[in-house]
Amino acid sequence: MKRHGWIWRVWLGLLLGLALAGTALAAEPIKIGVLGPMAFTQGEGHWNGASMAAEEINAAGGVKVGGVNRPIELVKVDTNEFLSIPDATNAAEMAISRHKVDFLVGGFRTEAVLVMQDIAMDAKKVFIGCGAAHPELCTRVTKDYDRYKYWFRLTPINSTYLGKVDFILLGTVAAIMKQTLGLEKLKVAIIAEKASWADPIVKAAETMLPEKMGMEVVGTWRPSPVAKDCTAELSAIQRAGAHIVFTTFSSSVGLTFAKQWGELKVPAAAVGINVESQKSGFWEATSGKGEYTLTVNTYARVKITDKTIPFYDKYLKLYKEAPNYTSGTYDALYILKEAVEKAGTTDSDKVVAQIEKHDGIGTAGREVFDKSHDITWAPGYVTSIGSQWQDGQMVCVWPINWEGVTYEGAVPYKLPPWVVEHWKK
Amino acid sequence: MGMLDAYIRRFLAVLRTEILVLPSRMAVVVFVLLLLALPLVTQDGYVLRVMILTAIFAILAASWDLLSGFTGQMNFGHALFFGVAAYVTALLNLELKFPPYLSIPLGAVGGVLTGLVVGIPCLRLKGSYLALTTLAFPIILLGLVFAFPGVTGGELGLSGLSRLTGSRTGDYYLITGLMLALGGVMWKITDSNTGIILHAIREDELAARAAGINTTRYKLLAFCLSGFFAGIAGGLYAHFLRLAGPSTLEVSLSFQVIIWAVFGGMVSIYGPIAGVFILNPLMEALRVVLERFPGLPEMRMFIFAGLVLVTLLFMPEGLVPWVRDKIETECPRCKIRNAFTRRRCRVCDAALD
Repeated sequence: MKRHGWIWRVWLGLLLGLALAGTALAAEPIKIGVLGPMAFTQGEGHWNGASMAAEEINAAGGVKVGGVNRPIELVKVDTNEFLSIPDATNAAEMAISRHKVDFLVGGFRTEAVLVMQDIAMDAKKVFIGCGAAHPELCTRVTKDYDRYKYWFRLTPINSTYLGKVDFILLGTVAAIMKQTLGLEKLKVAIIAEKASWADPIVKAAETMLPEKMGMEVVGTWRPSPVAKDCTAELSAIQRAGAHIVFTTFSSSVGLTFAKQWGELKVPAAAVGINVESQKSGFWEATSGKGEYTLTVNTYARVKITDKTIPFYDKYLKLYKEAPNYTSGTYDALYILKEAVEKAGTTDSDKVVAQIEKHDGIGTAGREVFDKSHDITWAPGYVTSIGSQWQDGQMVCVWPINWEGVTYEGAVPYKLPPWVVEHWKK
Repeated sequence: MGMLDAYIRRFLAVLRTEILVLPSRMAVVVFVLLLLALPLVTQDGYVLRVMILTAIFAILAASWDLLSGFTGQMNFGHALFFGVAAYVTALLNLELKFPPYLSIPLGAVGGVLTGLVVGIPCLRLKGSYLALTTLAFPIILLGLVFAFPGVTGGELGLSGLSRLTGSRTGDYYLITGLMLALGGVMWKITDSNTGIILHAIREDELAARAAGINTTRYKLLAFCLSGFFAGIAGGLYAHFLRLAGPSTLEVSLSFQVIIWAVFGGMVSIYGPIAGVFILNPLMEALRVVLERFPGLPEMRMFIFAGLVLVTLLFMPEGLVPWVRDKIETECPRCKIRNAFTRRRCRVCDAALD
């Protein structure tokens, strides 16, 4: 009897062990590597967006894969890509071979993302890009589908579309000026930072404005991306008699420009891309002088979809900052969750097939990927927005009645009062 | 059989009398053996990648030492040779479909020609003037890279180069082997007559000229040699990462090279190599360690800089010479180095202090 008791206990132990192993198996997390320059705001955006989504998904029970609820575990991967490309490649490699991540999201500097993309493709890992806008990243998918099919770009819209929105905003402001100020032919000054990404936009503007949009280009100015003084350019623009100044800035010069533009009250409405004015600290940084600056943007407190405002508010509450386009990792995680659940596995090929079929509402719009695995930009899909600073608030001013699209909460664009005063007949 | 015996006996004799007598030589042998054995211990893609990049940068740092350490031509823009070779290699591989075994050496020739182009105007300059001028060249080239995006790919660089060997282990052995061989060649150059002349130019150029040495020619030679080795590193880098981008020309890379070389110990060739092999994996180790502490990963660069500063504060000559002085003593009479454990010189039997 004693001997039997011993066997019984062994069986019980084995069963217990198996049960424990089973629970451990059930709880095996899905690992997602968040790639980004973590010491910079772009990387913080990547991490914050992903953390918020992961917490929400885990609180709701995790990702249901084949009847088992698996939590999401995020791996913070500091790519340091602004300072060192080898560092970025090491980081991506570490995430894959050390941390054994199942998926990757993030990335910012195109040169680094190109290499990290190759590393991810070598390992056949799904990589959803949230930061680099260059079309080449998705052209690779079209050129060599079998190799690059694991790559998708979610945010921002690619630079070609970015250019389109840029011109639409310019056209919108021009129409408003013509209507309210009774101007006939508008004069536009082009100002763009001296960086190669801005070159195609400048080139397009120089030809498109006179030929297709019926405006006169009074000159092109190219200050350094880190210029601390733009007064020379601004006085020249004023002397040239420009009604609109078409901006293309991604660096700190955007801040300098906006501040001095407001201080000098240059009678030309500032429209275009100004990444600095997408940040919530812009108002303080320009001491309010950057009011009326209009820029292409991804997020503002506006109802792009039902998810946008709750996302925006929660993000602002948690991180004391408005989300920027690298925070698109939030949507990326939800897309991955849905794809994994539908595929019933984390197998990359099957997940890719599901993401290709994905058609869902995210925080930035209706998210569908095209054949090159780039996010679709069109009315009714992701459109991006135009945001303007009005009385200390960043508000959405576009789209309003654009191809039938108006976002609830969007307010009319306001011309700077000194521009109205100067040009009013 | 007899011959093999003789060879083995000779090898053992060399091992006993030349290598095992000095800790520094033993360290080199152990280092080489460890490097060669690494893929047998781990096949971890991350570890091999880190070590491959380390080996590439080791060639770069040693080539800087050849020019700036030995010849005293302070070069603050060493990324120029590296970047030019990376771009030349990429263009040859992508446009003319040259395989890596042709594109890399030709890229290095690009490095040599750059050495000539930079060397000729810079030869008239000395000290800080030379340093500042060399600093300008990669910045000028970076401007050109952005000015002609059709050729250089602009901000994106040139990507999609063919792979070196097709396997990580293959790449590792190829690049590590090349690093050891090129390191050996550079060390041999500094040990040759040419090396002594380069050394003389650094110590007293006027005296070297008075001794009938055409110092201009030798300085130009140093620029070209350094450009060649840095160029090989650039070509390997481009093929390994499959990308030649503007980051290969950035000022930060030029300074990184100096940090590695000064940390390891200048004027030695092996010092900069050791510097890279300590600092580069250390940066990665810091990444792994700091991951466990939330909020700290962003401090990696700061901690790294702090470590380098503290090391140089206590070891101004660099780490390797400092360690070498601790484990070896120079004989006051015959100047031969001895293990620190010896009381009397292994050659002349003089008493060691």
